[in-house]
Amino acid sequence: MKVSHLSWLIISLSPSLLVQAEELPDKQTELVAKVKQVGQAYLVPRDLSSIPQGEFGDKVRLGYQLFVNSQQMRDSYVGNNLNCSNCHMDAGRHANAAPLWAAYFAYPAYRKKNDKVNSYEERLQGCFTYSMNGTPPASGSKELVALSAYSYWLGMSGLMDQAGITTAVAELSDSDLIKGGKREDMLLPEAVKTAMTQPERAALPGKGFPKIAAPKLAYSPKRGSEVYQAHCQSCHGADGQGYESAGVYSLPPLWGPQSFNWGAGMHRVNTAAYFIYENMPFSKSVQLSNQQAWDVAAYINAQERPQDPRFTGDIKQLKDKYHKHQGYYGVSVDGKPELGSKAYGNNPKRSD
Amino acid sequence: MKRGLIACALLVLSASSYAAMPPSAALCGSCHGSQGQGVDPLGPRLAGLSSDYIAKQIKLFQTGKRQNATMQPMSMTLQGDAVYAVADYFSSFDVPIVTPHLRGEKAVYEDPTEQLVYQGDWQRVIPACVTCHGPSGLGVGEFPRLAGQQASYIKNQLMAWQKDTRSGDQDGVMGAIADKLTSAEIDALSKYFAELK
Repeated sequence: MKVSHLSWLIISLSPSLLVQAEELPDKQTELVAKVKQVGQAYLVPRDLSSIPQGEFGDKVRLGYQLFVNSQQMRDSYVGNNLNCSNCHMDAGRHANAAPLWAAYFAYPAYRKKNDKVNSYEERLQGCFTYSMNGTPPASGSKELVALSAYSYWLGMSGLMDQAGITTAVAELSDSDLIKGGKREDMLLPEAVKTAMTQPERAALPGKGFPKIAAPKLAYSPKRGSEVYQAHCQSCHGADGQGYESAGVYSLPPLWGPQSFNWGAGMHRVNTAAYFIYENMPFSKSVQLSNQQAWDVAAYINAQERPQDPRFTGDIKQLKDKYHKHQGYYGVSVDGKPELGSKAYGNNPKRSD
Repeated sequence: MKRGLIACALLVLSASSYAAMPPSAALCGSCHGSQGQGVDPLGPRLAGLSSDYIAKQIKLFQTGKRQNATMQPMSMTLQGDAVYAVADYFSSFDVPIVTPHLRGEKAVYEDPTEQLVYQGDWQRVIPACVTCHGPSGLGVGEFPRLAGQQASYIKNQLMAWQKDTRSGDQDGVMGAIADKLTSAEIDALSKYFAELK
């Protein structure tokens, strides 16, 4: 009696926990991927050296620092060995590697699925919950403000340069920063406003990962394992656990307890195939065939990883509700137990 | 003369707590130092490199993927288990501890060489060196330690990648990066890593 009373008290004191226990919003709704255009020019954000001095600039710089060394949030908000910059190349500046400058101007975004408008900070929270297998910082926290400020500054500086405006990027309040740039009341220089429509700014070329054609043969983890050994293993290890030096996994784990969880966008075979085809091997870009990219994406994503945080005890139920896409959650591969049934824990401490 | 060197090497070793030098490593020691500390400009430092990396390089010399007039015949003297015995021996020696500089400690690097090392130059699709070589180039997995390596050696290697006299990297990743570096950048990067001790 005493125990249940106490636990009720704890839950009532942490409303965010209560929400999580009820149902996590689907903040990682799949983006509509677009095919890469030949000769496409991309937005180029300003060099980090032009971030202004002062309080606003400090937020932008902190955002960069959290982005490339996310492990400083380990055991608070991050529950695996990843850093944001593992997938977002050049610290979120590189086109076709899910650049922050494109994401920022796509939020707030209305999601039909939950009939809700998701702000940029909510999208960032989704990254913490799923890709980083952690617990997101609270709304308006300094981390979410900083990551929003960094994204905003990258995007706005690029848009301003494109429109020929050389002045400093306007400072925004914290409460405006976390909303995202796709707002009617968004503060925009006149030349930026006239250069592009709001929907155009929300769909900047280079956003997300470029779509590739469906594979000729159905993707196969078995064939993918050969691709993995030939092209991926030297950096990510035979066991897919990456390599660490001085505590940093700049060669990141791709599956297992220290990688992204079953709710992260990258666990979808198509998303991983798009990413891999465009961005792997690191800095070489487009070395694998279309089929190889699909197969190796299947191989990587047909491995056990941390549980989908929306899991409430029934894999089938969760699969039917959230996994109606190209993925292996709840699927048995090679006669092994269905994936998800041996999933690792969410938000473990480093020492666990 | 050679005998003298070997005797000298054995003498140094006997005073240390490290593993005994396998006989097949004696010849290597004459250019790389008896404890793999390197003899500039004869041979680079081997201490601080992983055993796997050293063994792989010996095989690359043997197969001509790394071309070097001295190392090609030298590497052929090592066959079978001797490759691993030598690799294990030289990788067992400690190197000075370098306090790593982690990405994110700074957002802005005034020195363009440091910027290349810690952030790269993605307009030319050059990633940060530390992504693969580890924080401060301390080495990780198949990627060799750069911190404290001889500048002349690093420079020669970057030029070898450019001239295609060195290969064996996965999918040509290192070769592609080296191709994009200017000679001034090669000089500056070599000096930068050599001085990280």
